[in-house]
Amino acid sequence: MQDKRLDEIISNENSRLEEIGYGGGLPSCGNFLVMDASVLESMYAASGLEIIPISDAIEKYPRVRDELYFSLVKKDKNEYTRLASGARPVGYYIRVEPGVKIEDPVQAAFMLASTGGTQVIHNIIDLGQGSGLNILNGCTTSCQVFQGKHVGITEVYVSEGASLSYTMLHNWGKDIEVYPVTGIHVEKNARFVSNYAAMTAVKKLVAYPTAWVEAGGSARFHSIIYSKNNSHFDMGARAVLKGEDSGAEIISRVVSEAGIVISRQMIEGLTTGCKGHMECSGLLLDEKAVIHTIPELKGAHPDINLSHEAAVGRISSKELSYLMARGLTEEEARSLIIRGFLDIGIEGIPPRIHDIIEDTIKKSVRGSV
Amino acid sequence: MGLLDIKGLKVSAGSHEILKGIDFSIEEGRTTVVFGPNGSGKSTLMGAILGLPGFNITAGSIIFKGRDITALPVHERSRMGIGLAFQYPPAVKGVRLSTLLDNIKNGDEDLHTYSEMLNMDQYLDRDINLGFSGGERKRSEILQLMVQKPDLLLLDEPESGVDIENISIISRALNLILEKDKPLRKRKRSAIIITHTGYILDYMRADTACVIVGGYILGCGSPSEILAEIREKGYSQCMECYRDMVRRDTGAGQET
Repeated sequence: MQDKRLDEIISNENSRLEEIGYGGGLPSCGNFLVMDASVLESMYAASGLEIIPISDAIEKYPRVRDELYFSLVKKDKNEYTRLASGARPVGYYIRVEPGVKIEDPVQAAFMLASTGGTQVIHNIIDLGQGSGLNILNGCTTSCQVFQGKHVGITEVYVSEGASLSYTMLHNWGKDIEVYPVTGIHVEKNARFVSNYAAMTAVKKLVAYPTAWVEAGGSARFHSIIYSKNNSHFDMGARAVLKGEDSGAEIISRVVSEAGIVISRQMIEGLTTGCKGHMECSGLLLDEKAVIHTIPELKGAHPDINLSHEAAVGRISSKELSYLMARGLTEEEARSLIIRGFLDIGIEGIPPRIHDIIEDTIKKSVRGSV
Repeated sequence: MGLLDIKGLKVSAGSHEILKGIDFSIEEGRTTVVFGPNGSGKSTLMGAILGLPGFNITAGSIIFKGRDITALPVHERSRMGIGLAFQYPPAVKGVRLSTLLDNIKNGDEDLHTYSEMLNMDQYLDRDINLGFSGGERKRSEILQLMVQKPDLLLLDEPESGVDIENISIISRALNLILEKDKPLRKRKRSAIIITHTGYILDYMRADTACVIVGGYILGCGSPSEILAEIREKGYSQCMECYRDMVRRDTGAGQET
């Protein structure tokens, strides 16, 4: 009965889910699907991997309950964490055993299916020493839902020498509010890569994930945002380099047709050998658009190397004319430049995930050739 | 009727008139070289033929393949078969050269054959012109024209800022595009080459040369003779002709 209902739902919402990389015959090592507060799918098919609802994990593993749950994200951080701490936890717990490296990604999707509803999610990712995993998260609404709120708490533990590639695709609607709160602990010599893409309108989205990076570890945040309508994005990332020779890279690309995008990024270097670099670039397509970039660097030791580049501007008329001289219409030329601007050449993510991001960009940018 | 016929063309940039009444034509399969000192209006002529922004046509007409293109947008002129190798092509950050070539190619050619000929193979995955040297930019321009296959090539100072080795590579490719190995009557593509040094003529043959000074075409003739004269006397003699022409057009100095 459950399977039949699941099949119906997935069939009805097929295109919405596929847009965020869920299903569609893509290779995966596990799947997790939540609609509103119901877990519709939770399965895994790789040895050394476990994907279960977080409520089950809290019961099953005292460590999850006592050490991981609301540890990197504090319960009283803001009104959304307080809301989540008071709610029955809905979300996934993903665990990879030490030394296990898995190529095919975990697919996870969170769908808001009730108009005016508030979805509260809490996810925990727990990678054992020397393990490796790719996760493709997608968030979207049902095709009939235009209003609502999504609150998402995510706590990520990347143990010593482990590697996590965490890709998030947001596909919301123009009257949806979204408040993710994310904390990441990158242990010694571990690697964390976050790829984030939001290519559709949203009423308000506020996110400022923070990674604490230990010795020899690295955190990379890559984000692309395409703002439309009256979207309000307040998006960024913060990397706190706690350990010796730790590193961070933050690349943010914003294209705005309309609305406000605040892009706040911060790297803090606290000890010897820390290296960090950030690039915040914005492309304004219309007078209705505002992009406010806030790149911040904080050094607390003389032996560190932190840098940033930031630029906000319009498409160069010289570049447009140049491409049009090759036979492209103005719209095609603009599209090529915008897509190029958003192509941040993310390294190390599975080709399939790269293709999904590319497709998302193509669909979002008018006049794609 | 020629492939391109320009009549009485006047072009301004801002409030400044640069071309002051140009008559010019080129036949199918022919190559014309245009000489002129800096600021004489050579690049303006090319910009006006292709319809680039910033060049305001105030009088005259441009007929290409029998159609008046004076008011057509740049991409339509390009699609009709006009291709320009820019003197100073801009860098386009984020757009790979191979992506552009895929979008503009006119046929099923193997990009790698052309890119190898121009030593551009290792630049295909790089952003267009970003960090390219002068020679690499010129080679990239010619590669784009090879793929685009225009019927009329506009080459704006193809040899400027380029070393001998690169001029040789570029001209070899241009001779191929322009079918210089075929007899004249069988050539289909035409070219207008702008140069103020004439070095490119050591590597390519032109059928006609015209001299443009102060927004006027002062005359056309044998490329080798005109080049020899310019090399011997500079543009000073041309400037004298230009002053005569200005006096004629404005009536200055005429007795009343």
